[in-house]
Amino acid sequence: MSVEFRNVSKDFGGACVVDDLSLEIRDGEFVVLLGPSGCGKTTTLRMLAGLETVTSGEIYIGGERVNDVPTQHRDLAMVFQSYALYPHMTIAENIGYPLRVRKIEKNERADRVNRVAAMLEIESLLDRKPRQLSGGERQRVALARAIVREPRAYLMDEPLSNLDARLRVQMRGELKRLQHQLGTTTIYVTHDQAEAMTLASRVAVMRKGRLQQFDTPMNIYNEPANRFVAEFVGSPSMNFVEGRIDRATFVSDSLRVPLNTQLAGALTMGIRPEHIQVFAEPHDGAIAATVYVTELMGNETFVFLSVGENRLIARAPADFRADVESKVWLRLATERAHFFDSNGNSLTQRRKDAKEN
Amino acid sequence: MTQIKNRFTFVRILCLFVALVGALAPVYWMLTISLKTEVEQFASPPPWFIFTPTLEHYYDAFVSRGFGQYLLTSAIVAVTSTACALIIGTLAAYALARFELPWQLHKHLSLWILSTRMFPAIVTAVPLFLMMRDLRLLNTRASLIIVYTAFNLPFVIWMMRGFFADLPRDLEEAALVDGDSRIGALVRVVLPLVAPGLAATAVFCLIVSWNEFLFALVLTQTDASMTLPVGIAGRVTQYEIKWGVMSAAASVAIVPILVFALALQRYLVRGLSMGAVKG
Repeated sequence: MSVEFRNVSKDFGGACVVDDLSLEIRDGEFVVLLGPSGCGKTTTLRMLAGLETVTSGEIYIGGERVNDVPTQHRDLAMVFQSYALYPHMTIAENIGYPLRVRKIEKNERADRVNRVAAMLEIESLLDRKPRQLSGGERQRVALARAIVREPRAYLMDEPLSNLDARLRVQMRGELKRLQHQLGTTTIYVTHDQAEAMTLASRVAVMRKGRLQQFDTPMNIYNEPANRFVAEFVGSPSMNFVEGRIDRATFVSDSLRVPLNTQLAGALTMGIRPEHIQVFAEPHDGAIAATVYVTELMGNETFVFLSVGENRLIARAPADFRADVESKVWLRLATERAHFFDSNGNSLTQRRKDAKEN
Repeated sequence: MTQIKNRFTFVRILCLFVALVGALAPVYWMLTISLKTEVEQFASPPPWFIFTPTLEHYYDAFVSRGFGQYLLTSAIVAVTSTACALIIGTLAAYALARFELPWQLHKHLSLWILSTRMFPAIVTAVPLFLMMRDLRLLNTRASLIIVYTAFNLPFVIWMMRGFFADLPRDLEEAALVDGDSRIGALVRVVLPLVAPGLAATAVFCLIVSWNEFLFALVLTQTDASMTLPVGIAGRVTQYEIKWGVMSAAASVAIVPILVFALALQRYLVRGLSMGAVKG
């Protein structure tokens, strides 16, 4: 089902947690609400679930206004960060609970529980209690309880954050596969930009209760609407250099970079680590820099650099070697650079060009 | 080192022994009195352990006199008032623990409720007597059930509110999203998880109602409406004190609470320490 937030705000005792949020989520989409803690993403999800009231604005599910519909009648399924498995019930009872409260007859209930358990490979756990399960198994049970019926949408509140790194990547893939199979609208909350990029068909980046950008992962990454989005998405983070553009040249206290641009005046240049090329020998037009430290990742090397007062991070090939404090030369792919005004809004207009191609 | 430890253990056992004797000696005295003939009851020195047991006082109390009736009244009053207090109190406590009421009432109401226990019970005895008289409820079980329920409510609400507050909200929220109603979530998810606390609370309510004397004395005078404590005390008269009958009835009065408490013992300890340690 489609889901729509129309000018939704939420106040908690005077503090505005969600501020005039408008989002249109199409049927079958996998939308990730991304942002740092306290940005209002979980509150947004809870308002959709009916677990928080809406201070102003309207929420629609499948075209129906649900502001005053109590949680139990919204026909959604939710996976909680804590999993919220019922500790006194067996796994089978846990998964079957949504069916039981809908008075679905016992045999059919058992059938459907078994089918979902098979799908998630937890058949052998059905007679156990939640406390006998590992974190990953509990996660699967929580997921099974959500997908045992066909709700109008799935809501997931940081479902992977309590898993260890390896399991998280594995479950991430399974989640994506599952959503593809089921084709049900899914709204997923996370502060992990990697999860957002890999899972989402569209990402809504939030900050301090305000929506920053709502777009596909590619566009979020390549065309960030503002400095916050640019900085939050991508690891390692985008580099920022304060400066100004004079006669098609970006000038900061330690950098001079010729550009092909109409922009002028004081601004911030942002450039991603992969758009900085590092050379061990001097190159024509390259910028001299000092190596602060290098981090070998195995498949690539992160080079932390000092250019005057500025610190930059560059992505270099795995075989790149440089000593600390040694001199290197940089070439910036300025055609991939982003420019932000003093309020952090993007000045780059490449987005329209990208759409025309 | 072991010597110190042994001495410590010895002291501990000694203390326990003294405490046990202190607690159980009156009960033992009562039991033996109930089984002795009147002659032996007053023999000096008393036959502590060796005497010819007789059940005549039990026969006297429960067959010749109306103690069976008192026992029945006590049981009905205690069970009904405990059930009422638990049902009303649990719902109230859940509301106070989970919902935000206007004007911060969810905080203030709890204290108001507790304040009804801050004055001596006897203060309300006369007003309650007058009210029950006007309502034509004197000498009825209903009067006692109402009074005991009211008296136990603050206790139930405060105990249960604590248990509910300790429970993560996620579980109920999950139940709601899964499609259950508030009351369904309470019954199917919340209550099973606070069952130990509920059991502990129930035992206390039952003991209080079962042993209550003051209001029973004030509000009931007829044989049909009297509870066991009042019935027993009534054997102390101007002319004689029926020690044997009183002891026999009191010995029987202990049994139901003892059985109930033993049956729920497993829950009692867990219930009373609930929330102290995160399980």
